[in-house]
Amino acid sequence: MATIKFTDVVKSFDNGKVTVIPNLSLEIADKEFVVLVGPSGCGKSTTLRMIAGLEDITSGELYIDDKKVNDIPPKDRDIAMVFQSYALYPHMTVYKNMAFALKLKKMPKDEIDKKVRWAAKILDIEPYLDRKPRALSGGQRQRVALGRAMVRNPKVFLLDEPLSNLDAKLRTEMRSQITSLHQRLQTTFVYVTHDQTEAMTMADRIVVMDKGVIQQFDTPQILYNEPANMFVAGFIGSPQMNFIDASVVKDNGLKILFSGYEIPAPKEKKEYLEDYIGKDIVLGIRPEHFLSAEEAKSEKDCCTMTVKTEIAEMTGSETNIYFELGGKRHIARIKAEKKICSGDCVKLAFRSTSAHFFDKDTKMSIG
Amino acid sequence: MKSKRSAVNFLIYTLLFALAAVFLAPIFIILLNSVKSNFYISDSPFSIPSGESFAGIQNFIKGFTQSDFLQAFLNSAFITVFSVGGIVLLTSMTAWYIVRVSGRLTKIIYYLFVFSMIVPFQMVMYTMTYYAFELGLNNRLGIILIYIGFGAGLSVFMFSGFIKSIPKEIEEAATIDGCSPIKTFFLVVFPILKPTAITVAILNAMWIWNDYLLPYLVLGSGKSRTLPVAVQMALTGGYGNKDMGALMAMLVLAIVPIIIFYLFCQKYIIKGVVAGAVKG
Ligand SMILES: Nc1ncnc2c1ncn2[C@@H]1O[C@H](COP(=O)(O)OP(=O)(O)OP(=O)(O)O)[C@@H](O)[C@H]1O
Ligand SMILES: [Mg+2]
Repeated sequence: MATIKFTDVVKSFDNGKVTVIPNLSLEIADKEFVVLVGPSGCGKSTTLRMIAGLEDITSGELYIDDKKVNDIPPKDRDIAMVFQSYALYPHMTVYKNMAFALKLKKMPKDEIDKKVRWAAKILDIEPYLDRKPRALSGGQRQRVALGRAMVRNPKVFLLDEPLSNLDAKLRTEMRSQITSLHQRLQTTFVYVTHDQTEAMTMADRIVVMDKGVIQQFDTPQILYNEPANMFVAGFIGSPQMNFIDASVVKDNGLKILFSGYEIPAPKEKKEYLEDYIGKDIVLGIRPEHFLSAEEAKSEKDCCTMTVKTEIAEMTGSETNIYFELGGKRHIARIKAEKKICSGDCVKLAFRSTSAHFFDKDTKMSIG
Repeated sequence: MKSKRSAVNFLIYTLLFALAAVFLAPIFIILLNSVKSNFYISDSPFSIPSGESFAGIQNFIKGFTQSDFLQAFLNSAFITVFSVGGIVLLTSMTAWYIVRVSGRLTKIIYYLFVFSMIVPFQMVMYTMTYYAFELGLNNRLGIILIYIGFGAGLSVFMFSGFIKSIPKEIEEAATIDGCSPIKTFFLVVFPILKPTAITVAILNAMWIWNDYLLPYLVLGSGKSRTLPVAVQMALTGGYGNKDMGALMAMLVLAIVPIIIFYLFCQKYIIKGVVAGAVKG
């Protein structure tokens, strides 16, 4: 059982000269896997370190399990943390690294042994128990760091970019290992990353942060389908969502105009878009929502445009097409039947229902 | 190409051997003469002891029993051991505090330590001696305090340089694992500092063991005199004939402990103990 609750938490450094978190309110449910994402320097680590008790809270309250922990030292918060740099004790063997916290708790030796071996078995590091960290590979060190957190059986697991030092293949492997660890341990996980793929694949809910402010806190699906603003829309999804300047007109029905093309306003967004008649908005289309001319044939409410390919990237089953529209470069990802080369003119289409609309000034989603 | 390189190598090695021979010659000569009988020491100091010139361990027995050698040896050992222990323990803690608690005060303290390092001993020697007597530090315990003071500058400097390279996360992990600051220091930080601690210990031990001026000024040549002072007294003291053989033996006995200490510690100086703690 462990819920985490931030209420109006402010964090500043250097006696208030630098405010990193202006106001944070957040509720994390028990046994939830929450991922904090955001660009570098947005305050993810700071938030995590406040939960750990490694950073003081300037003002506001932090509760773990409905108990205010502002002034409770890290060791009494019943949390465990995995650091980006692993932070293993270099002078201790893997076994001692994992046993350290338990030894400090004065747990009986045989019980410590049982726990360490249990964790080592799950993480597949049994053969290395007598080695020092320097004799391990990056992935093995990472697992030791996880093991050190596991043996303590904490209420909350905090992980700060634990996979960012691993190569791509290992990262994918460890990702699923951490996910299954979460299912097995049934504790609350708070996981920091700047990799949106990690966030999307692992999280129950994702906190998207920018400049210390929560942009949206929701499930991966909702973040992807209904981003609250342009920041979230651009941050979630890869390649990034295309943003195209557009305007709303009423002319034989509500229409969106952009770069000489037009689409009808989708039914469910109509009433919100009516407020923007005659105004500029931003149209957002995910690269993967573009259709090739073939696919678009049978669709209605589709907008088809002809663009000149600047660069074409084959990525196996799909092709990324870079093209220019309205003075900006955009990406479309389509299933191409035949090879597309740079310089080719291609027909691209998208359904009006897959388009996103944003207020140009507030950057908020319309509808 | 290859032969040219090996020729260069040969030259370099010859040069290095020659230099080493020059530096080691005095020690070698002392060793030689420590097992020669008195007459031959002054007659032919450079000859290899053989036959009648060979005196066995007689000189050592004489040297050991003469002029309270054992007392001086124990004085030196006591002062060196506790000064070095004190320096290593206290300066590593100081350096940890200075590095981890950043602020104006710690910065000032740090620069004071560095400054103390560049002030030559001769400059403060008389005032220091005066105050040592005033404060009653002119005894074996008092001089330990003085040595800790003199050793602190360089040691704090060396320790803080190394501590800066230890990732802070290791200590934070210890905090989360349940360490108080004291436990963090002794269970995590100090073991990581071990190579530096040993380097600091060797440097200070060599200096304190061999130091002549400070113990001469503070302790004098009385009962609490140290080994270098005792040797010096044996060399100049008394009229008539000096027992050169015994003196040579004393010198050998004075050098041996520090060499043993050095050889013993050397194997613990492993580079990069932090390697493997972080991503690396
Ligand atoms: N001790 C400190 N003193 C002053 N500013 C700090 C301190 N620690 C962090 N900051 C600032 O707080 C901001 C947020 O830092 P934080 O480490 O939380 O970012 P992050 O989101 O984890 O970024 P990254 O993805 O690069 O790790 C940064 O602008 C950083 O410069
Ligand atoms: Mg960070």
